[in-house]
Amino acid sequence: MSLCAQTVFVRALPIFDARPAGNFLFLTKPVNELEAQDRDTELLRLIAGGDRLAFAEFYDRHSTLMFSVAAKILNDAGEAEDVLQETFVQIWEKAAKFDPKLGKAASWAAILARNRAIDRIRASQRRSRLAEAAGAAHAIAAEVSESANETLYGHDKAKFVHSAIVELPEEQRQAIELAYFSGLTQDEISKKLNTPLGTIKARIRRGLLKLRDQLEGVL
Amino acid sequence: MIDERMEEQAALHVLGVLSDTEAYEFKKAMKADPELQACVARLSVATGALAGSVPIAEPPLRLRAKILAQVAPVQKTISLPERKSGFSLWLPWSLTTGLALLCVLFFAQDSRLRQTISEQEKQINNLNSLAQSLSAATNNLQQTVLALQETNQIGNLRIAMLNSMLTDLPKAVAVGLWDKDQQRGVFVVQNLRPLPADRDYQLWVIDPKYPTPVSAGVFQVDVQGNVRIQFKTDKLIESANRFAVTEEPKGGLPTPTLKNLVLIGG
Repeated sequence: MSLCAQTVFVRALPIFDARPAGNFLFLTKPVNELEAQDRDTELLRLIAGGDRLAFAEFYDRHSTLMFSVAAKILNDAGEAEDVLQETFVQIWEKAAKFDPKLGKAASWAAILARNRAIDRIRASQRRSRLAEAAGAAHAIAAEVSESANETLYGHDKAKFVHSAIVELPEEQRQAIELAYFSGLTQDEISKKLNTPLGTIKARIRRGLLKLRDQLEGVL
Repeated sequence: MIDERMEEQAALHVLGVLSDTEAYEFKKAMKADPELQACVARLSVATGALAGSVPIAEPPLRLRAKILAQVAPVQKTISLPERKSGFSLWLPWSLTTGLALLCVLFFAQDSRLRQTISEQEKQINNLNSLAQSLSAATNNLQQTVLALQETNQIGNLRIAMLNSMLTDLPKAVAVGLWDKDQQRGVFVVQNLRPLPADRDYQLWVIDPKYPTPVSAGVFQVDVQGNVRIQFKTDKLIESANRFAVTEEPKGGLPTPTLKNLVLIGG
């Protein structure tokens, strides 16, 4: 490949963008959530067109979050690796299905990994084990040294997010965590918590709305 | 206006706990209702945050290469010409012995053709493997090219690759470029851990002319652990033999704290 061709090639990589600098001392790239979201959307568009470099960048940006979610649900690093692999193949094949109007790419990628992990649990009929695990301990510990959110939002925001979740009313938080991390159906959550289904749904709704209100404008 | 029931369905949808039927109905409703789409988008902020609140777990490094290899462009398969089901369909058995011999000749050619195709397929496989193994090297090359692009000067450039000294952050990597003529450089970092507000990363240039490393200033990385900076040093650098990054108190120190060495390379 000629040097010229390589130069054109690398211009596609955002980290290497050659912006003119006003001065030469310690110009750091500003942290900008909107910019990150736009970048994710752009990456998924490129991935849909078969761009492997974009795919690699998307992997670097979100694999830790996705792996953390899968590892938490499956409680098995080996299986979490399989899930991560399957999910990224799914992203490679279905990137065009991502709709930025329906949320952030990070949330989308996380739910894909979550769904794969839950499918795996259901396929292997380990639900009882998982339900026990989910009941025995909350998915999100009251104190956590470092969460996957740190890779997305940095230390301070991750801490804020964690506080917002652990400060939800216990019954709302419990219902939400069981729904997201355990793979139990609504009926099963209702039975497990010995609470009417309607109440469970209402708790989930109220809890998520509360969390959304706390986090909007911050994330 | 979205009613409470639809809001409830939206909450269950973003958590992934709607039944198949409910999910189908909900998606249908969402397609036709921009307000419901916006509601889902806002709730997904909460589920995204929820997902990220689990303890961090890093996937093994080898998995990245494995996954990238898996999505390599699909190897084109060469379809073989369809074989006739039998001589009787196209070769009446009343044909002369000469035609039969011709048929044998065709079969021989077919066999050779198959062998050639098989060899070509093997070659394609080998080339694909080679392309994958070169991808890492290509990344480095891209960084080098950037350096040339940045300075537009090939001579007097010192290019160094820095590797992580942190066992828990093996993916951290950086490239330092130093232009001796202009006495300034470019430093690109990836995958470092963002630091708290009272700490900074400090860049050092190691020049044998000086007894201690020369400070090239402090920097922070973004939430992804990446940054691109341009830097100068207080002292004249004659030979930028190596670069190093340490973690220091806010504002940096005159000499590096070696036990906090994060990246080094030359």
